[in-house]
Order: sequence, then structure tokens, then C-alpha cells
Amino acid sequence: MRPGANMNKLIARLTAVALAVAWSAGAGAGQATEEEELALAYGDKSFVSIASGSRQPIARAPSVATVITAEDIAAIGAADLDEVLETVPGLHVSHSPILYNPIYTIRGIHTQYNPQVLMLVNGIPITGVFVGNRSQIWGGMPVENIARIEVIRGPGSALYGADAFSGVINIITKTSTDIDGTQPGLRLGSFNSRDAWVQHGGTWGGLDAAAYLRVGRTDGQHQIVAADALTGSSNPTLAPGPVNLDRDAIDGRLDLSRDKWRLRAGYQQREVGTGAGVASALDPAGKNYGERISSDLTWQDINFTPDLDVTAQASYLHITEKSDLTLFPAGVNLGSGVFPNGMIGNPYKWERHWRFNLSAAYTGLQNHKLRFGTGTQNDNLYRTQETKNFDATYTPGPLTDVSDSAPFLRPHSRRVNYIYAQDEWSFIRDWYLTAGVRHDRYSDFGATTNPRLALVWETAYNLTSKLLYGRAFRPPSFSELYNINNPVALGNPNLKPETNESVELAFAWQAASTLQANLNLFRYQMRDILRFVQNPDTSYTAQNAGRQHGQGMEVELVWEARSDLRLSGNYAQQRSIDETTNQDAGNAPRHHAYARADWRFMPHMTLDTQLNYVAGRKREPSDPRPAIADYHTVDLTLRSQLRNSDWDFAFKVLNLFDADAREPSPAPGLIPNDLPLAPREWRLELTHQF
Amino acid sequence: MLLRVVLLFLTALVVASPAFAAGKDAIAVIYPDIGEPYHGIFEKIIEGIEDKVGSPVANHPVGADTDIGVLKASLLQQNTKVVIALGRQGMKTATALNNNISIVVGGVLTVPENEARAQPVISLTPDPALLFARMKALKPATKRVFVVYDPGFNDWLMKLAREAAHSQELELVAYEAHDLRSAVRFYREIFSAAGGRSDVLWLPQDSTTVEERSILPLVLQESWNKNLAVFSSNSAHVRRGVLFSLYPDNVALGKSLATLAQGILISGGYRSRGMMPLRDVQSAVNLRTAQHLGLNLGFQPGFDTTFPEQ
Repeated sequence: MRPGANMNKLIARLTAVALAVAWSAGAGAGQATEEEELALAYGDKSFVSIASGSRQPIARAPSVATVITAEDIAAIGAADLDEVLETVPGLHVSHSPILYNPIYTIRGIHTQYNPQVLMLVNGIPITGVFVGNRSQIWGGMPVENIARIEVIRGPGSALYGADAFSGVINIITKTSTDIDGTQPGLRLGSFNSRDAWVQHGGTWGGLDAAAYLRVGRTDGQHQIVAADALTGSSNPTLAPGPVNLDRDAIDGRLDLSRDKWRLRAGYQQREVGTGAGVASALDPAGKNYGERISSDLTWQDINFTPDLDVTAQASYLHITEKSDLTLFPAGVNLGSGVFPNGMIGNPYKWERHWRFNLSAAYTGLQNHKLRFGTGTQNDNLYRTQETKNFDATYTPGPLTDVSDSAPFLRPHSRRVNYIYAQDEWSFIRDWYLTAGVRHDRYSDFGATTNPRLALVWETAYNLTSKLLYGRAFRPPSFSELYNINNPVALGNPNLKPETNESVELAFAWQAASTLQANLNLFRYQMRDILRFVQNPDTSYTAQNAGRQHGQGMEVELVWEARSDLRLSGNYAQQRSIDETTNQDAGNAPRHHAYARADWRFMPHMTLDTQLNYVAGRKREPSDPRPAIADYHTVDLTLRSQLRNSDWDFAFKVLNLFDADAREPSPAPGLIPNDLPLAPREWRLELTHQF
Repeated sequence: MLLRVVLLFLTALVVASPAFAAGKDAIAVIYPDIGEPYHGIFEKIIEGIEDKVGSPVANHPVGADTDIGVLKASLLQQNTKVVIALGRQGMKTATALNNNISIVVGGVLTVPENEARAQPVISLTPDPALLFARMKALKPATKRVFVVYDPGFNDWLMKLAREAAHSQELELVAYEAHDLRSAVRFYREIFSAAGGRSDVLWLPQDSTTVEERSILPLVLQESWNKNLAVFSSNSAHVRRGVLFSLYPDNVALGKSLATLAQGILISGGYRSRGMMPLRDVQSAVNLRTAQHLGLNLGFQPGFDTTFPEQ
């Protein structure tokens, strides 16, 4: 029996005892009458949470969407965005070996850089242009300052433009109303993790002001990678060895508003380890520094004229990424000589993005709701810098600044102009047709037009049915267009966007007063997939190569079983096929189930239990390894408001039974035993409300 | 002479002290020791009280096991003149104090008339006048308001509702139901009688006549099929499909309770007693239902909370 097994049994017994004690404690709570009376005035618990702050729906077009509130985030004891996103039906958070960056696998679309998911903060993209994702030095996103998260599955380019391909994640940060006072917090956890933060919401010189500052660091989990890209070769390897997930993080946000104006600013700084290595070879010495500075100025007049709501917005995003990497360790020889200090590559890059958007919503026509907008953006990767100790044939040399002579990429910029319109037409009672289209013109590859149609039928008082069609695009990134001097990833300026077309059928059914059920069925077709394809020599160049299709379903249930017990869960199933080989596209779970129980067993104490089951992950067609093992994890969160005080305390155990959970390494399997996730870990959190 | 000077000096000190000026020690709050999310409601009400008073007030969470003697001693030590009793447990505890401390009650739905007569009570039940006015604003053609109510619970409210209906030129058609069975019968009558653009249905806070598991689904289904607008005094019903509701604005409610308490401090006695409906309200609307009823509320419908959430 392995050593952890006894510990698991012990924890299971302790948990059972704790549950039994809690159950008996709950039985005597005796709050029913008071709560029943309050429920008649304020509604059930979920309404009380909603009504505690002014909330308006944000989804601007019919879609299959999930909304996660700050209360949900607190209930599951999440510390990072990824923990929250894993609860969304049809979304699984996997990882890349590169820095263990998250891969948000939505409905079977799984790629290493994950540019097919558009992430917005307060409706504004945080997309970098180098590989088209949220930037390569991500390092997580804390959740204390998040008011709500909207996840829209399926294509959304008709409204959101580029990258709203497999889904859109919109993060809404807290305003002064949401924070309402001063909240300091402290979190300690396994792997020497510690975070401290403070947020404040109030008025300042006649302005509504919200501010947030967080500082954190962790050594990260140290699971062992048994073999890496060099194992089995004549080269030295650092495997077996631990993954490198140490992280220092600083986050700051400021939100000032008055009347029609709002000014927001954000700052994120990360220093992170290399994960399982940028070249799939362990790199304990490598360091990555990332910095994101963002700002937006928004003006909105909801009564510009009667029935006309006008919004103008200017935003700025600056991204700095500096990686100091030992791609392969000291003594490696790739055929052209030995690297006594290891193969070193230090790529740096700087991006700035400007966006201007003017949008309007008009409701002056009977049975129509119109939205239209136009905008422009400039994406500028304005500086690159690189030092390395090898050339294009991997011959060793001194560490040399190749920024001018042979960099990985030279500066480039692109301009995008766009225009969109959407109408929601109520053509018969309870039938609504939403038609939208957006035209984007790119200065580098040309134009693309993406439509969306949604037919919504309010079938009955407790049933809504939706039929949705959408088309999305992902523009080629600068690495795909312009990479040079990197034989395994050469750019190609003659690329066009990859596209995704999707049809969805969705039902939302309030089955009973305490039971809500949703069913979504979908089919999608990806075309012109952007991939690095091998040339006749051993180099690879970006090409529009390949197609993929898929289909699947999601079921969601929320049951308010008792006034003190809420059960919820979802199951997602999908099958995605690579059309070149007619095999499973690989890596995405065919089955993903999530269950959660929130039990308030005493007036001030809740116990949240989560079960996450990930199964059916086939390999990519070019990967001969057998399918990766399924896993399930259980997390427990105990949250308590300390009696008669404004202190809030939470204790969370993640991966309670210490499951051996792994995410797939990419084909062809340079890390043969995949990427180990964290073992059992604990976390303690203390917050105060002034 | 010396004594008079000292007394004058002490009096001046007391009068000039911030505690006296703000009534800090004179007002205390008793509220139920209850878990989230309802605990947060009382926190907000207390925040409103403190906003109005201008300084923190002593507050005491109470439960069924609270030692009344200890609490009373604590209140007297704090020089408490008025207790703002929140919630059913708060009121129960405050009335058990049985001394010269005046009481203002909030955070309860209704109180038996004989108990309400002893002190002012601001109910958590929205003022029917506000509900009717909001309904008319949404649907100006409204002429008739149907309601089924339990007289044992909402008799006081119906008196107000009749006055409100009269002043807003509405006809209130009220059915008295003492049990679930008769309530169902009356709803069936309403659905066969009501129709057209001028009729609406009001669901009061009433666990007998608006029973959640049987009556509410029936009402929602029938009203949907007959395009009958339904509004409710229970905001949770909006998520279920009722057109709109009003729910307490907790901070504003706290200020109103503090105003009553300060009035007692100034006058030395109760200026008013008995049940008062809630006038400090926020609003919630169901846009899906509004569309079904042909009400175009636009992108900014002018409500504090909107449903569906997606």
C-alpha cells in the first residue's frame, strides 16, 4: 500500500466525522421561522445575493452562457480564475508544458496556445498579438476583485470580433458599490503560498472609487516529471525532476466613475517559473517576467436621445514579456556541438494596443432592438530583443545579442477597423429573431465578415428554447505571420484566419420551484486551422492546414434541496474529429462531470463540496501514446463568518483524496507521462470588512 | 455655589459630547443572530441606522438562548433609551426586556395588531400604493387588481391596499382565503374572470395563498397562457416569471428606523405606533415576461435588478 493511502483513509474518516458532527449541529440550528419570514420579503438566498448589489445582464445577444457571481467564487473557496472556470459546463482547464499556462478547452477545441478563447476584462480584450492569447506569461488571475464572470460558449465574432471562437470569458471587476468599504485579506497555503490584498470602495472627491492591490508568491507544487524531451537520448536530462511553478505576483486595479464617465486602470506583474520547460525539457533556472498595464476611459449616456443609448470607449493595453530560458541543460549536444552552460535563449518583446469603440443601442422601433457600433484598433508589437547562444542550425556559440541580426521576430503592427449591427426582432409573440453581422478589416490579411442568427422561442412560462447559428474567426498571430530564425515555427505572411461555424440548440427549463435544468446540444466545424506544418526539410512553417468538426451536449441542474442545502452540477460530453486523419482531435475530455453541494450546517458556517471528473481524453492523431488516464478530484471548503464580527474565515482542501491527476502533454509526447497536477493541498483564508 | 458650578460644568460636558449630540448611547440595535445571506441584510439596515445617527450604535445579536438579564444590564449601562428591534427574534427579545426602553421594530413582515399597537413597526411588506403605481407606470391601461389573501395574516395590508387602489383609480378585487384549497378555487375564478389589458394579479407575501409548490406554478402557467400581468410582493417570484416586484432597500430602511428612534428621543415618547408598510424599496423586473406581455422596456428598463440573468 502506498504511503498516501493510509492518509487518504484517515482524511476520509475525519471528513465523515466532521460531516456527521456538522449534520447534528445543523439539526438544532432552529433558524427556520426567521428565515422563512425573510425569504417572503427578500426572496430565496440566491436572490438576496443578487439584490445586495445592482446587477444588470451583460450578455448582449442570445447565447449559451454561464454567469458566476462573487458569492459562487467565495463559496467554492477559489483563489484563481482557473478554479472557477473548471466549474463551467463544457469548459475544462488543461495546461501547456510551457509555464503550465492554462488551456481553456471549450467544447473539444484544445490547442497549446489557446488563442481560440477570447478573454475580456470589463468587456475589453486582453489579447496579445504574439500568439494571439492572453499573453504567454500569464501566471494566473486572482479572484477577490471579480464581481462576476460570464462565460459564453460558441462563436461570438459577430459582436466581439477576433478570437470569440470557441468561447468568450468576460470578467467584470468590482466597483465601489460591490466592495462598499475596506476589505483586507490574507491567504496561506501549501507550497509556501501566501497572498495579501486590500480593496476599497467608496467615494473620493465626488467620484465613486474602487481600488484593489494584491501581492502574492508561491513556490508552486513540485510534482515530479519522470521523463522529458531528453530522456532516453544520449543527452543529460534533469528528469526525473519537479515542475517549476514558483510565482511572484502583483495586481492592482483602480476604477473611478462619475455621472457618464468611468476611468479604469489595471496593473499585473508576474515572475514565474518555466513549468515543464518551454522546450519540454525541465528548466529549473529559467525565469519569466510579464507585465500588463491597461486603462480605459468610457463615456455612456443611456438617454442620449429618447430610446438611444450611446457609449464611447478608448482603451490601452501594454504587455511586456521577458523570458530567460535554459531550453536544454548543460552538456546537451543537438548534433552540432556541446553546450557547456546549456542551450540558452532569452526572447523579450513589448506590445502596445489602442482601441476606440463607439456603440449605440436603439429601442425606438416597435418590436425591434437595434445595436450597432464601429471601432478601430492598433496592435503594435513594437520591440523585440533576443540573446541566445546558438544559431539556426543549433550550433553552440557565445551568448550573443541577436536582436538586430537574427531575432525570433521583428517589430510589426496591424490596424483593424470594424463595424457591426444587430437587431432583435420580435416577429410574433414569444418568438424573437436576432440577426447580427460584423465586418473586420485587417491591414495585414484583409477582411472577414461574420454573421450570427438566433431564434428564441419562449415556449412556455418555464421553458425557453433557442436555436443559434454563429461564425467566428481567429486572425493569424504575429508568430504565425512573421516568425523568423526559429526552424520549428516559421511565419508565413500569406495566411488567412481560421474559422468556426456552429449550430446550437438550447433549452432552459424551470422544472420546479427549486429545480432549474438546462440542456444544450451543439455541432461545430473548424476550417483553415492554423498549424505549423513540416516542410520537406525538418523545419515547420505556419499554414492554413486542416479541418476539425465536433458535436456534443451539456446538461446542467441546480436544485435548492432545502433552505440550507443547494445541489448543482453539470455534465458535458463531446466528440471532436480531425478531418485529415478522421481520428479524435485529441486532448479534450469526451466526458466532463462536475457536482457541487453547498450546505449551511450552522447559521454562520457553510461546507462546500466539489467533485470534478475528467474522462475520455484521446491522444492527438500524431501521438502514438495510449489515452491518458481519467481522474476525479474532490475539494472541500469550509467557510465561516466569525460570530458577531466582520471577520470571514475559510479553509479549503483541494484534491482531498490525493488523486494522481494529469493533463496531456502535446504530441508527440516529449513528456511521455504527461503533466502532473497538484497533489492534495490546503489553503487558509482570512478577510475582514471595515 | 461650587456644587452648582460643577453641575453646570458636567452638564455642559454631557451636552457637548458627541455621544449626546448623535444619540449614540441612547439608541441600540437588537437583531437576530442568523447566518448568511440574511445576516448581511441586518448589517445593511444597521449601516443605514448609523448613517442617520451619524455614529456607530451598540448592536446586539440575539438568539433564543440570549440571557435577557445580561442584555438588559448591558443596554442600561449603555444609557439606551430606544431599542431598534430587527427581525422576529429581535422583536421577541426587545419586548421581553420589559422596562422603560422604547422600541422601534423593523425587519418583520407583520405583527398581530395587539402587539403592533405598543410601538411603531415598519414592515418588510412593500406599500401597496408603490406596487400599484409601478404597475400603472408599466401598463397604463390597468384598471382592476385581483388578489387572494389570508385575512389572518394580511388584513392590515388590505386596508391600505383598498385606500391605495381608490386613490389611484383602480378597482381592488380581493378574495379572502383561509386555506390552500379555497385559495386555489379563487385563483381559478380569477383566471376565468380576468382577461384583457386592464386586469392584473397581485401576489402578496402570504405562505397560504401564494404557496410556492402548488399555487405559484399554477399562477405562473395560467397567467402566461392568458397574458395576465402578475406582480408580487416577494422578489424571488420575479426570477420565477412574475413581471415585477419591490424589495427592501436595507440602508434606506435603516435610516427610516433611525428617524423614528430619534423622534422618540426628542419627544420623549412614541409619536406613532402600529404597522407601517415599507416605503424604502428597490425594484426587480423580469424582461422575458415583460416581452411576453408586449411591454417594451428597452435596454435600460429602469429597475434595480433584472431577470433573466442571461
